[in-house]
Amino acid sequence: MDILVYGTINSVALALYALGFALVYGVSRLPNFAHGALYVLSGFITWSALNTLGLPYPLAILLALLATAVIGAVIYQFVLIRVRGMEISEIIASYAIALAILEGIRYVGFRGMTYTLPVFLEGRTTIGGVMVDYHRLLVVAIGAALFAGLWAFTRFTRVGLALRGMAQDERAAMMLGIDSDLMAVVAMALGSALAALAAILLLPLGNIVVESGYNVLILAIAVCIVGGIGSWFGAVIAAFIIGFAQILTVVYLGTHFQMMVALLAIILTLILKPSGLFGQQKELEERV
Amino acid sequence: MLEASGLMVFYENMLALNNVALRCGEDEIVGVFGANSAGKSTLMYALSGIMLDVEKKERMAGGERITLAGEVRYRGRDIMNLKASKRARLGIVLCPERRRLFKESTVLENLKIGAYLATAAQAKETLAYVFKIFPALEKLKTRLSGFLSGGEQQMLAIGRALMAQPKILLLDEPLLGLSPLMQAMLMRAVREIRDERRIAIIVTEQYARPVMPIVDYAFILENGSAVLEGVRDDLMDNPDVKAAYFGV
Repeated sequence: MDILVYGTINSVALALYALGFALVYGVSRLPNFAHGALYVLSGFITWSALNTLGLPYPLAILLALLATAVIGAVIYQFVLIRVRGMEISEIIASYAIALAILEGIRYVGFRGMTYTLPVFLEGRTTIGGVMVDYHRLLVVAIGAALFAGLWAFTRFTRVGLALRGMAQDERAAMMLGIDSDLMAVVAMALGSALAALAAILLLPLGNIVVESGYNVLILAIAVCIVGGIGSWFGAVIAAFIIGFAQILTVVYLGTHFQMMVALLAIILTLILKPSGLFGQQKELEERV
Repeated sequence: MLEASGLMVFYENMLALNNVALRCGEDEIVGVFGANSAGKSTLMYALSGIMLDVEKKERMAGGERITLAGEVRYRGRDIMNLKASKRARLGIVLCPERRRLFKESTVLENLKIGAYLATAAQAKETLAYVFKIFPALEKLKTRLSGFLSGGEQQMLAIGRALMAQPKILLLDEPLLGLSPLMQAMLMRAVREIRDERRIAIIVTEQYARPVMPIVDYAFILENGSAVLEGVRDDLMDNPDVKAAYFGV
């Protein structure tokens, strides 16, 4: 029962990490290595809005979401658009931005374990004999609502449909009047906002530390590779596979093996099925 | 309505389009015929603006150097430097070779994505129209478009292009790989679209016979140059054309 409850929570957390990354990659084929940095950055924006500006919590959250979305869009519009289509340069440029953001945060003085966000709801309950705090349940509920919302967004709204069209065939989308540069910016803003949302939901469970930016990035990449890069549905399934695998190793092997699971999953996927569980990476197969 | 003159496209030093002039009037169906590699798709890419994107991507990736020259005018306005999405907004919509459907989306979703430029009312009206001229699509609404037959895919590609509210529709090899029966049915539908919706249409094809009956005016491309042009009946009587494009 422990495994079931905490496995689910952990899986939803992983899916939240990965969703923004998968969205950006799916739409504009951009591996956004600044994803983890945006995650940490939005955590510190929320913290600063709460403690330095003294805003109420909901307002601070809203500010962090908007600010991160704008920062993501700006990063794309002024830096990444120049190396569009060159995979290696995209990785180097976005990773450089990640380093600049994370080390910049460290430089400004946000160091150590002292920064925390308050949980949304105090208190705890028991499910089948397992103690769970309300905030973790809320994470699962909001996560599920978010997946459903995103599913509906990409099926029933004009922009969502355009994003899906572009993800499948950029040029065909252009022929129908969809502006691919604009959509790439929208995707990046949305992906950054998703990173911020993940941060706001998950950071109250621990400390805001700069190092977690790198971990979040690795976990997001692991989930996307296992799920099939570019497939949102695959990412959610992969999050559950890795999430439960992590909890199982924690229970039976030890906490320090947790990070290894994600890396092992990347290696195994690349050996057994390079396109991932639900990947449509046909170019890769053709090239081999 | 759409007019190109002195259109040149180079891939590195290879001349893909050489000084091509072409025009299409309001409510006209214009045919462009030519063999493989005569430059038909390059012409369609140049007219629709996709060529600018090809050129940009190649340049950024350090690939082939593509050079474009000449003039494309739409209702008197020079659109040579307008990107594809802007041209689509003006009403120039390309229905590309090999259809390029959104294969992981259903038939209905393909049409909905196509309606990006349409207002809600236009989308609803055009959807009903697409299902009227292609009743087969309505039955296949929830099927993934990758699972359709070639003919059904082509109907969907044309339908999707119509959803974008074109004023001039560019059809690039719509009959590729289809049965004669399906070809005839599609050509009837294309004529119907022109008659009922007052859309100008440029259609390219390798083999002229199934398309010739519906065109008003035709151009023949050879090695990137427009070597012959004329109204339909003149071209059909031309012995060279007969030999090359009708298999007589």
